[in-house]
Amino acid sequence: MGLLSGRKGLRLSHRTRLEFRAFAESFGPQYQSHVLTMRKDERSNQGIPDEDDLLLVERVLAGDRRAFESLVRRHERRVFRVTLAVLGNIEDAEEAMQDTFVKAFRHLNQFRREARFTTWLTRIAVNEAVQKRSARKTFVPLADVDNSEEQFTPKRRESWRSNPEQLYGKQEIHRFVEEAIQSLPEIYREAFVLRDVEELSAEEAAEVLGISVPALKSRLLRARLMMRETLAARLEEPPTLKTKIVHKAVDVGTAVAMRLMRAAGR
Amino acid sequence: MKTMDCKDVLANLSCYLDGEGSAELRTALEEHISRCRRCRVVFDTTGRMLKIVTDAEPFEVPLSVSARLYARLEKVLSES
Repeated sequence: MGLLSGRKGLRLSHRTRLEFRAFAESFGPQYQSHVLTMRKDERSNQGIPDEDDLLLVERVLAGDRRAFESLVRRHERRVFRVTLAVLGNIEDAEEAMQDTFVKAFRHLNQFRREARFTTWLTRIAVNEAVQKRSARKTFVPLADVDNSEEQFTPKRRESWRSNPEQLYGKQEIHRFVEEAIQSLPEIYREAFVLRDVEELSAEEAAEVLGISVPALKSRLLRARLMMRETLAARLEEPPTLKTKIVHKAVDVGTAVAMRLMRAAGR
Repeated sequence: MKTMDCKDVLANLSCYLDGEGSAELRTALEEHISRCRRCRVVFDTTGRMLKIVTDAEPFEVPLSVSARLYARLEKVLSES
């Protein structure tokens, strides 16, 4: 069975599946069969609880290479977020993510179990991304110019007037959050993603970044205050008419879909 | 513990939001926040920002990126 088959949580619309199939076909006949059987395998994968990382590691080391597929599934998103946090663009983050998993597979016997598997893997991801960033000497994103660690003073002292979730759609808030994180200078973005998105402990995040815990906490504080400022600025803008209409349409669509589902369930 | 000023309070914002620090420190922070509207707003909105970020679950792996990852791993695993 191929690595792609049975991807947990993959929910594709018919159109997306067709587009994805066309894309997958470019990899050759072996790959097509995995895509064609994906829906069936998705169903069979539902409801199966996640296995413990250490158990999966043991299985891989015992020769069950397919257990590595489960490890990748469990950590793919985390590794992507981490490499993206360090590198700031999807193309480089993708390359670093691939290299991370290849390296993790080839060096799995060096995992000592003193740290969590998550921490070990995240450290590899950060190293891969940092190496890539160092190699990218001439490229300095504008957002990364300000890496100073001076004290940050909050500017916006007004209370948020309303509940953002009532003003904006979920997708819009999702976009605001991603843009706000991407706008953070590099060292703050790394600290914020590891701690507040990936929820590593302060000690783990500091270890992964190779800095002291007080330094991590100092960066995290500033990152949080900057995130607050950026999000507040976005959320205080009155939604445009287009936003309101789209948001309303999504709400109506969701309500109709729920009523139909309820009716179908009767 | 001596009364905290706004600068001390801000320095301990993360500590408070993460549920860390001694009971004495937390009490001193709460005492300041209860009488300082400006700090109260910063604490409240930073906490709300963190909740929004957690709920948003940012940065999905794009489908094409994921497909290329699995394709490469398929190759690596079959070679090993």
